Amino acid sequence: MTNKQEDVFPVITLKYRKGDLIIKEGDYGISIYKIIKGKVSIFQESEDKDIVLSTLGPGHIFGEIAFLNIAGEIRSASVRAIENAVLEVWHPSMLSKEYKEMPPMLKYVVDRISARLLRMNKLIVQLTTQEHKKRTSIKKREPWASKRRYYRKDVDLKCHYRPVGLSPKVRLPGRIRDMSLSGLGLEIVAKNTKSFSHMDGDSFIVNTVLPNGKSIELEANIVTLTKSETPGKLILGMSVTELSAGAKSLLGFFLMP
Amino acid sequence: MDINQLMELYLSNEETYESGEIIIEEGTRANWVYIILEGQAKVTKRTDAGIVTTDKLKKGAIFGEMALLGKIPAGRSAYVIAADGAIRLGVLDSQQLLKDYESLSPALRSLITTLIMRLEESNKKVAAFVVAANRKDRAKV
Repeated sequence: MTNKQEDVFPVITLKYRKGDLIIKEGDYGISIYKIIKGKVSIFQESEDKDIVLSTLGPGHIFGEIAFLNIAGEIRSASVRAIENAVLEVWHPSMLSKEYKEMPPMLKYVVDRISARLLRMNKLIVQLTTQEHKKRTSIKKREPWASKRRYYRKDVDLKCHYRPVGLSPKVRLPGRIRDMSLSGLGLEIVAKNTKSFSHMDGDSFIVNTVLPNGKSIELEANIVTLTKSETPGKLILGMSVTELSAGAKSLLGFFLMP
Repeated sequence: MDINQLMELYLSNEETYESGEIIIEEGTRANWVYIILEGQAKVTKRTDAGIVTTDKLKKGAIFGEMALLGKIPAGRSAYVIAADGAIRLGVLDSQQLLKDYESLSPALRSLITTLIMRLEESNKKVAAFVVAANRKDRAKV
């Protein structure tokens, strides 16, 4: 059964170039868009950062949240063309009568879905912002700068490491393969990366015991990640970001030629 | 129309579950659409760090509808839904719901499918955050 209303309201086709902003969050707007060609990204801005909520392609609809009227007639998110796109613009009147007269149980179900979508999207923005704050606060910290007075030494030290911010109870095993006062090469089993993010810039706290029996702790972040010659193992190239004065002298002594 | 009146038209059965009992198992076909009449349910996911709760559903919440109306491959549930305390559920007449859905114009139908797809995507994103946070808390090597 098709609805005759579709023919009554003119459908406009618009073209957007890659990068064009189609909908701006917070603006007033009631049109509904159907993607004919291309892709768009739905995102919210939080502290100058775009948080992508969804990527849609041909056949998908957007702009419907304002139409469903759960967020009022204010756009709840921005939409940008990420490929050259052709869109059909629908006037909401084309659907609003049918929507209102929809079988009530189905309408209840759809309203529940859209309310949950809004709630989940709010959560995503919150969680992403938190994660982002954690990352930037780590980056902002003055990197521990030291001239490399000691050469990088090939070593084989068992160690434990954990993502910064986690309880010391978290102990991922690893081996330090080479080390200087400003960086280290850490060999780990690849499966560690399944439990915790191991990406460029991720910071970890590394604990090890030097051959003289003294333990040291340092903080370092990942600069490179390469496969080890041993299958199933990875080498993290890390740059030291924090080292206490005590640990520094212990390590300095150990690294002396 | 009042939700209770509505329910009489669509309610095909009622089920009760004890706390912790699984209502929909992950990976199984979700054949029914449920509405929570009393109590609450938790949406959980099995991970290598154990079971984590990604969402809670309260009275009036619907579940199982995404598999029915969305274009989810084979309509299999991506989550475990379990009773969180004793719960009373209404089983909705999914054939009637499907009929209602099929009577809609293609435009409105594609709006609904996109909505479900987006919710599915957002659920996955939130679940990934919750699972990651839980791994961090639970990992005790």
